[in-house]
Amino acid sequence: MSALAWRDEQVLGWGMAVGGQSRVLRPTTAEQIAESFADVRARGGSIALRGAGCSYGDAATSNSHVLDLSRMNRLLAFDPETGLATVEPGVTVRDLWRHSIVRGYWPKVVSGTMAVSMGGAAAMNIHGKNNFALGSFGECVKSFDLLTPRGETVHCTRESEPDLFHAAIGGFGMLGCFTKLEVQTKRVHSGRLRVHGIVARDLEHNLQILEDLRGKSDYLVAWLDLHAKGGALGRGLMHRAEQMQPGEDPEGLRFLEPGLQDVPAKLFGAVPKGWLWPGMWCALHLGQVGVVNWLKFRAGYREQRHSPYLQTHGAFHFLLDYVPRWHWMTKPGGLIQFQPFVPHQHGARVLRSIIELCHKNGHVPYLGVLKRHRVDPFLMTHAVDGYSLAMDFAVSKRQHRRRALWRLCQELAELVLEAGGRFYYAKDAILLASSFARVHGDAAVAQFRAQKQKWDPGNLLQTDLSRRLGL
Amino acid sequence: MASSTGTSIVVGASSGMGLAIARRLAIQQRKVAMLARREAELRAMVATTNESLGRTAAFAYVHDAAVADAAEPLFARIEQELGPVDELYYVAGVMPDVALDEFDLDKDRQQILVNTLGCIAWGNAAARRFLQRKSGRIVGVTSVAQDRGRLGRPVYNASKAGMDTYLEALRNRLWRHGVRVTTIRPGFVDTPMTAGLDLKGAISADRAAELILRARDRKRAIVYVPGKWRPIMFVIRNIPSFVFRRLSI
Repeated sequence: MSALAWRDEQVLGWGMAVGGQSRVLRPTTAEQIAESFADVRARGGSIALRGAGCSYGDAATSNSHVLDLSRMNRLLAFDPETGLATVEPGVTVRDLWRHSIVRGYWPKVVSGTMAVSMGGAAAMNIHGKNNFALGSFGECVKSFDLLTPRGETVHCTRESEPDLFHAAIGGFGMLGCFTKLEVQTKRVHSGRLRVHGIVARDLEHNLQILEDLRGKSDYLVAWLDLHAKGGALGRGLMHRAEQMQPGEDPEGLRFLEPGLQDVPAKLFGAVPKGWLWPGMWCALHLGQVGVVNWLKFRAGYREQRHSPYLQTHGAFHFLLDYVPRWHWMTKPGGLIQFQPFVPHQHGARVLRSIIELCHKNGHVPYLGVLKRHRVDPFLMTHAVDGYSLAMDFAVSKRQHRRRALWRLCQELAELVLEAGGRFYYAKDAILLASSFARVHGDAAVAQFRAQKQKWDPGNLLQTDLSRRLGL
Repeated sequence: MASSTGTSIVVGASSGMGLAIARRLAIQQRKVAMLARREAELRAMVATTNESLGRTAAFAYVHDAAVADAAEPLFARIEQELGPVDELYYVAGVMPDVALDEFDLDKDRQQILVNTLGCIAWGNAAARRFLQRKSGRIVGVTSVAQDRGRLGRPVYNASKAGMDTYLEALRNRLWRHGVRVTTIRPGFVDTPMTAGLDLKGAISADRAAELILRARDRKRAIVYVPGKWRPIMFVIRNIPSFVFRRLSI
């Protein structure tokens, strides 16, 4: 199979803290994927499947072969009657909403960045700010075609292949490659959401707001100032958003246009935002994140006074796209994200301990995001009936600092596991093999291994993540 | 605003600028006859518009702008169903990809039929009625591409120039009778028609629609959208041929 041109490239996780040299191929058809499976099997290597490369950690990196599916990105069909989209795996969230919004539909589940691919979203079973209400991305997938390493394409629905359907979604690319997905979008009657900013005094206040509002809101997400200590520990700004009912926002009809949904490329209409990251780099490396957070928290009071306000779907959802290349501020070491999922009954206690432990160890996350979740039916799910706290840590180039951060995260993970919590592989970089069964339970892990054995008996599909977890 | 009641016809209303104009008109409490060729898309856009507004403002009429003979009877039918029409927006347009060494008569014919003859058919149907009533507005969306014949798309340039000249003649015929005819020459606008092109500094279709409706309200004759294209095209129009034929613009 010399026709396939594998290229040597550096492939990193999105956080730039993990990854390395790989042999990369960018197929454009399912046939090329099948060919590459056969090709690598013949050479005795392994393949990691990669979408848009938005996983923070090592979920889409490997020192062997990487199949980058970003060029398999055709939107095959969209039914304007039902909002059902048929897409190839490399289609991004942005491609999908740009097509659907003008027809009055918005993806049911979107992440904080619109760069993620549909294949990646399904493989990692991503969630959004409405996880407590509509569940994870997998729940809006109606069907998919999975090309397995055995060489066959299996058409899966919940009914026809329930085991494979529920294992491949959230199965971090271990069972096969999605070649086509049917994704359900939802009706929207305005291009805008009604948004409230609510200042939360401390962690308990944040959790209380989540509980009070989760039956009444479409989206809930809290930004946390993790630098605050003492009585203000876990303070932050909650954002609550609701969709408009028919006739509620007639002007919003205009905003059903892709050009009005995109995140603006300039600040105050003049400063190109692609050049903001060096300023953020300075704030981070001069140890001024606490000050920036304090300013942001104080600005929250102003936002609260001016609530509710109307905001486009794009502007509300894609906060991570506001400042292009913002993660470069963590250069040269990069960043890792630690996002524990904690059952609600232990939420306040465990999350408080986590933040306190970070302070004690001198590794304070520069960003914290709190969300409410509910369980979903997928085998390798990260969801719990409870909360998640995403924490972004800048990684030092100095090895002892880096090792200390890893140790801290493993200590934090222990707190989470003891409370019956879980982890999300699109974010994780630190979990140990010994924790894998504790996250999912022995029965689920055995079932997943059986599925792996059935569809990929030669263990062709491997990533740095799967090796780290000892799959 | 005088225009906030009444009925508008938008030809080419299922996407891009036509859709954005139709939606703005619907928000302004007007009844809008939305015309387009692709039935499923058109019905979806009309349904979205009405659902979002919580009232019925938009009405779907399936129509292929290349079939000029259908314009007159359809105009009559729309007036019968929705009442007298006092505004016509002709926004339908096609711009196929053409290679530099390609001279394909089928592609050329389609552009003349949709961009030029379709506009003439709908313009005539509207002009006949508006002249009698001594009121009404006709807005035609041509292009900055009509200002010069360029090497990239000869027949697109020609079809838009034909449309532009027709609208000018119509304006000269009708203005003295109280009927306003506005020619819109858009520059780079982010629409499905231009999706494959890398247009730097393109404005959104909604912004274009805003500027088009403002031109209508101000009773302007010829408007570049956005306005910066007027000086740009002034320069391009005045490049002498012996220079222009050596350029690749």
